[in-house]
Amino acid sequence: MKRLVNILGLALFLALGVLAVAPLFLIIGDVLYRGIPAIIRLGGILEFLTGLPPDPTSEKGGIGPLLVGTLYMTALGALMGLAIGFPIGVYIGTMRKEFFANIARASVNVLVEFPTITIGLFVYAVFTVVATDVNNVLLGPLSDWLAGVLGDWVRQFIGPLAGFNAYAGASALAIVMIPYVALVTASAYASIPDSIREAAYSIGGSEFNSVFIVMRKAVARALLTAALLGTAKIAGETAPLLFTAFGNYYYAPFTERTGAVPLWIWYAAQTPYDVLITSAYGAAAVLLLIVLALFAIAKLATRER
Amino acid sequence: MTIFLVLFVVFYLLSAFILLFIKMKWGLRLIAAVNVVIIAALIALFAWIAYPILERDGLAVFLKSDWNPPRESYGVLNALVGTLITSAIAIAIAMPLAVGVAVTINELLPRKLRGVFGALNDLTAAMPTVIYGLWGLFFLGPLLQKAVNVVALWLGLGEVMKAPSTLFTASILLAIMITPYAAAVIREGYALVPRHVEEAIYAVGATKFETVLVKLRYIKGYVYGGLFLALGRAMGETVAVAMVVGGNFARFTLNPFEGGITISSLIALQFLNAEAYQFMVPALFAAALLLAVVGVAINAVAIYILQRTTV
Repeated sequence: MKRLVNILGLALFLALGVLAVAPLFLIIGDVLYRGIPAIIRLGGILEFLTGLPPDPTSEKGGIGPLLVGTLYMTALGALMGLAIGFPIGVYIGTMRKEFFANIARASVNVLVEFPTITIGLFVYAVFTVVATDVNNVLLGPLSDWLAGVLGDWVRQFIGPLAGFNAYAGASALAIVMIPYVALVTASAYASIPDSIREAAYSIGGSEFNSVFIVMRKAVARALLTAALLGTAKIAGETAPLLFTAFGNYYYAPFTERTGAVPLWIWYAAQTPYDVLITSAYGAAAVLLLIVLALFAIAKLATRER
Repeated sequence: MTIFLVLFVVFYLLSAFILLFIKMKWGLRLIAAVNVVIIAALIALFAWIAYPILERDGLAVFLKSDWNPPRESYGVLNALVGTLITSAIAIAIAMPLAVGVAVTINELLPRKLRGVFGALNDLTAAMPTVIYGLWGLFFLGPLLQKAVNVVALWLGLGEVMKAPSTLFTASILLAIMITPYAAAVIREGYALVPRHVEEAIYAVGATKFETVLVKLRYIKGYVYGGLFLALGRAMGETVAVAMVVGGNFARFTLNPFEGGITISSLIALQFLNAEAYQFMVPALFAAALLLAVVGVAINAVAIYILQRTTV
């Protein structure tokens, strides 16, 4: 009897565990099963990756502008997120005993759980407050001067910003990424034994040397993981972009409304048109493959020790 | 006025980076304050933008269920109730699954498969939410509708689920999405159970199943902590929920098998029209403020539980 309960109970746990992971396969299978034929139907892989999104009457189309927007905003957001998140993680991980470090740790933990839509709204609100002055005083003259020096193409990147633009989107993504990077970095630094730290000081290293140079080897891998997982996370974020990048269907300057693949999926899936839903599935397959690739690299990088 | 804000931010980051390379400790402290500044500024800004409607209606914004832009009447109660229903159902489904994942990884699987299973679980957390939404809209929703109606007909209740997009669909989708977050916390606690405690349980003749139960009770702080973290996620999740929740702004409902709305999906779906009305933007920011404050409170509880727990 006792053995029967044992086996049944363990089987229950196993069933629950498998049930929790099973939807992942259903989702990946469904998206690829419908997404890859969708890409072929809409004009093949090349057309799909570079073409303009279809409208309800067209037969072919792609996600070109959206892919460009996603790559640009994700790269910028990841850079900003790393530049700010990494020092925060170093601080939380190395100076654990300070009072302020506890506050910083709590704030990171709160920020990582913050609904991402409120972060998008926050950036939108800050930007509406700041926009006019920044454009008139800072960016307008700057882009005039740069356009004179470098040529007119600069205006595509720097210039008076419209209400919705790629930089607001990238900032929102950066705020989403900061706590991820900080938490991974912090746990990597916290796991370094104190003896290594003391060894660094004992050979006359400054604080900077001990934190960045001696521990470089120990945390490089963790930092790489944090960067890749964080990038994978923000590449698929939609909610923070709803009010910051807003979405666009043409190749447009980054100073104006910018398209993103997740925004297109969100918009196209909710329309009643068949061709748009098909393209949403194709876009989802592309996005899924990007995220899977980043995730796989991150996992392989941590595995070899 | 606002240019000073930008100059302040630029100056702040510059000085943080300069300090970082001269006096590192102070540079790190200064840059670590960014988080605190963001959270404080977020709540202050939301309160400031939401002030007009809070001044006009007071707390009634959160307590009436009437959403009628043409008459400038905004009540968030529908969305609040929808959020509570969906997250309650999601948590009820996700917690057993999360415990199952933790036990499966730590006890049942052969050592070689543990890493793979853990990675799959992490991947479930890392998947873009919009892909969950797409899947929920075209796969899960219709499937659930069929399944629920078959069961309901068999029980003699008639057709209970009339559309594929309902609060219930959103709850199931949320449960799948938040399970890995809860599982990660429980796994972390599970790995911390001391070896001698485990040996002591086996020594009194317990079976493996009983040992697992005792160990779960031993780390119950982590289980509750995971529950609260997952609850926070469930309440704030936007895009996937907005795609499958049904978008019913107008009618108050407690029935999970009908279309509904949650706070975050209300913001996502209504913001496009908001500029056209006088009080709609403040009303949506009031809703966002509520979401942020509730989120901070839930996280505070979770952090408190997790920090108090010592294994």
